[in-house]
Amino acid sequence: MKDCTPGRIGNEAMNSIAYIIIQLIVTLLAAPLVGGLIKKVKALTQKRKGAPVLQMYFDLYKLLQKTSVVSEVSSWIYKAAPYIVFATALTGALLVPVSTKIVPVLIPGDFIMLVSILALGRFFMMAAALDTASTFGGMGSSREAMISSLIEPSILVALFTVGLFSGSTSLPRMMQTVQVTGFPLAHPVYMMVGLALLIVIIAETSRIPVDDPSTHLELTMVHEAMILEYSGRHLALLEYGAAVKQLVFITLFVNIFIPHDQLIPFMGFGAVILSLLLYLLKVVLMAVVIALIEVNTVKFKLFSIPNLAALSFILAFLGILQFFILGGHHV
Amino acid sequence: MELLLHHLYLVSIFGYLLSAVISLIYLFVKKQNTGNIIVNALCIAASATAAAASIGKIFLGVEILNIFSLQATIPFITLEIRVDNLSAFFVLALSVLVFCVSIYSIGYISHYNGKRNIGLFNFLYVMFIISMFFVLTSANAVFFYISWEAMSLLSYFLVVFESEKEENQKAGTVYIVMTHLATALLFIGFMIIYHYTHSFDLMAAHNGTVIPEMARNIAFILFLVGFGTKAGVIPLHIWLPYAHPAAPSNVSALMSGIMIKTAIYGLIRFVLCYLGVQDTWWGIVILVLGILSAVLGVAYALMEHNIKRLLAFHSVENIGIILIGLGVSYIAFAQNHLLVGGLALTAALLHTFNHTLFKGGLFLGAGAIQYAVHTKDIEKLGGLLKKMPVTGFMVLCFSLAISAIVPFNGFISEWLTYQSIFANILPGQIGLNFFSAVAVAALALTGALAAACFVKLFGISFLGLPRSEQAANAQEVPKTMNIGMGILALICLGIGLFPLTILKLLDPVVGSLGGGSVFSQLQGGFMLAYYPLTVSPGSISPAALVLALAGIILLALLVIRIVGGKYIERKYGTWDCGFEALNARMQYSATGFSKPIKIVFRILFRPTRKITTEGDSFYYPESIEYATTVASIFEDYLYHPVIKRLQKFSQRTKYKIQTGSIHNYLIYIFAAVLLLMLYNRLA
Repeated sequence: MKDCTPGRIGNEAMNSIAYIIIQLIVTLLAAPLVGGLIKKVKALTQKRKGAPVLQMYFDLYKLLQKTSVVSEVSSWIYKAAPYIVFATALTGALLVPVSTKIVPVLIPGDFIMLVSILALGRFFMMAAALDTASTFGGMGSSREAMISSLIEPSILVALFTVGLFSGSTSLPRMMQTVQVTGFPLAHPVYMMVGLALLIVIIAETSRIPVDDPSTHLELTMVHEAMILEYSGRHLALLEYGAAVKQLVFITLFVNIFIPHDQLIPFMGFGAVILSLLLYLLKVVLMAVVIALIEVNTVKFKLFSIPNLAALSFILAFLGILQFFILGGHHV
Repeated sequence: MELLLHHLYLVSIFGYLLSAVISLIYLFVKKQNTGNIIVNALCIAASATAAAASIGKIFLGVEILNIFSLQATIPFITLEIRVDNLSAFFVLALSVLVFCVSIYSIGYISHYNGKRNIGLFNFLYVMFIISMFFVLTSANAVFFYISWEAMSLLSYFLVVFESEKEENQKAGTVYIVMTHLATALLFIGFMIIYHYTHSFDLMAAHNGTVIPEMARNIAFILFLVGFGTKAGVIPLHIWLPYAHPAAPSNVSALMSGIMIKTAIYGLIRFVLCYLGVQDTWWGIVILVLGILSAVLGVAYALMEHNIKRLLAFHSVENIGIILIGLGVSYIAFAQNHLLVGGLALTAALLHTFNHTLFKGGLFLGAGAIQYAVHTKDIEKLGGLLKKMPVTGFMVLCFSLAISAIVPFNGFISEWLTYQSIFANILPGQIGLNFFSAVAVAALALTGALAAACFVKLFGISFLGLPRSEQAANAQEVPKTMNIGMGILALICLGIGLFPLTILKLLDPVVGSLGGGSVFSQLQGGFMLAYYPLTVSPGSISPAALVLALAGIILLALLVIRIVGGKYIERKYGTWDCGFEALNARMQYSATGFSKPIKIVFRILFRPTRKITTEGDSFYYPESIEYATTVASIFEDYLYHPVIKRLQKFSQRTKYKIQTGSIHNYLIYIFAAVLLLMLYNRLA
């Protein structure tokens, strides 16, 4: 229960403010970097030099300077959507701690809330794509509807399973629980659930083999089709929002399945800095892994994606069944 | 205080009866507009009084209020009205919806002006409300049964109100047959209970102990099927997608918003309060039915392109979600986990209330579209947001609410449902846990598909280019219609942002049903946290989240203004690949939008398609017609074979027994008399 002495509340408020600032700064700064890194790794594996790692920052800056071209057909939904998509992604980032060394007593949401808040962004994204009366937008929107509905059961069952270990749906608590269990991915339940979530990350961040972020060919595109009409600052917000969402999922994965804060035995300012550095290292590693997956697979045709989603769901479901059989004990 | 509440309820009933009488008078008046306003104003006042009385009753902690009791000379028939916490909660839901729908009706009914007898419509409408009021408050099974039957018949008359359309007649027939089958089962259930308890009194709680186990189980199944039919549980749902679209939209809102919830009330009143939940399998059966209804309901909704049929299937889905909560709570109650049971029951009741609000609102929105565009077909809409900005905004709010998206109320009840499933997963009961896992997956799939479906509904009808002449010339609906929807939308948002207020109201209701207090486990202030055991399963604060969202949007606007300078916008046509002939028909249609999902789940939908081309050239036909159908497996494989057998059987009896020959009938009479005499002799 909450301790209500004034000093404690002051401390808590400070703690919360520090948490919010760290979350926002780390997410906003690191998110475009991950995209750049993936592109760079892909280029290097193809013996190309590739764009600079920081290219996305330059792109965003340039897009902000440009005039926005807005379709005559569209309504206010079209102009509101980029802000809502960006804000929901960033609010989602507030729910997924980058480091458990600084976490306020209560975070105003858990993973069910995270899924719902991202759904708010997706709802507006899909609606805005229909708003311009363009066939491309409708196509992207319709495909996104299919992919997101197929992937949502597996993301919730997977996180539900991880939550059962800690007896909580709160993400910080889930991350803190895995820190005392040794290496989680050695546990059969986590192994299944981890694989399921890896597929979820690929689908949710519109990467190969589900979607292709680098193409504008109408036969393949999903996310790119939805944002086809956008330009200027609206496009910048959508790109940035997508990058933030990608980082949120990567954070979720690395902090649950590769916990690092148990390696730092002390508390305080130094611990936070060290923890953040370790976190960034994990994110970089994850970016390389995603890039390598992208390089080594081809894009599936649209109606092969359900198989991938089914695989992810079956893994997650086997994970939860295994939890019932093995219980919360660690082997 | 008790006296005041008592009088408030009486005033409310009197108000409804008065408006029924006035609408009867207006049956014979030529100019009916003033009558319509008076009747609806009376309904508004009566429902506001009943809502205030219900809130007061629950908060003041008055356990049971006896409103009135009229002993008739016929045995067993006592018109007895009593309000306990459960009744008060459902009466509150009814009153809130009637309040908004009546405001809406003032404008909506005006389109019947001069075409139909509004007095007749209003009389049926008000009597329908009164019958639901009595269903929710009657104190004995006989009066409940009478009110239930009245409710079914009155809603049937409302379904066939526009009876010149053939599809409405068919809808009415399907509805009346299904609802009467259900009523018959309920009747048998009441009789079984009376046989053992010798009382029709409903409030005598947990009578189940005096009934032998076998009879109790049979009564449970009868109630489940009987109420399940009214609720629209799959596979008993088939009347819903016919009846809801046929009725006028304000009646559809009442039918979908609260009439099918009277079945939920019945399931709680008769199963939980009356029989008492003793076996775990009762909960499991309800949970499985809930899972089936939720997933299949939303799946069929996605394939529908008639707005009101689509919404009707979503009612099936949401009843499924309510039943998932109810099932979990019955499982927990059967195992004496009162706190988990209380949490799950809270989730189910809150979702019942929420669904009343947003589904009522969505049907009102569909009515507004029909009022403005004169069609229910999504494929003929488009671009309505510019023509009807207020209606469009309301429909957007309700769509977000029903898709369980923050910051609206649907999310709160689904979150509580997830939490109750989470809390109900205990070590050592692998079988039960399996159902919980399936329920989680089903809820997740349902939520995502519902969001997809409402993107379709909102995006295709309100965004893009208009797909028909009427849609292009649509105009905003009268203000009263928008006010009715607006109040519902505001309550949706209010519950979504400050869920603790409604949870505080629900706490005594769940408490009087034997559930543990959920509210005492919650943190105050903005937070909605839940601590059942020593650890906290989770906490959410929608208000804080909305503040964060708003803050981030403001910050983004500020940063963009500083970095990017003033916002310059250039209006230009949508990119058309250089063809310069982009038109409304090139947009995605609703059929196209849901086609990927149709293909993925083709094993369920069994789609067929038929393409007919006209013209000589194979490559350049003059016109192409594309038709697609989706099989409804329950009708094809369950109902049609049964109906066919029945028809065959009655045909045969017609020729063998009902021959039309007078001699045969004389033999029948003789045989009957003989049998009766024999029976008398033996007895």
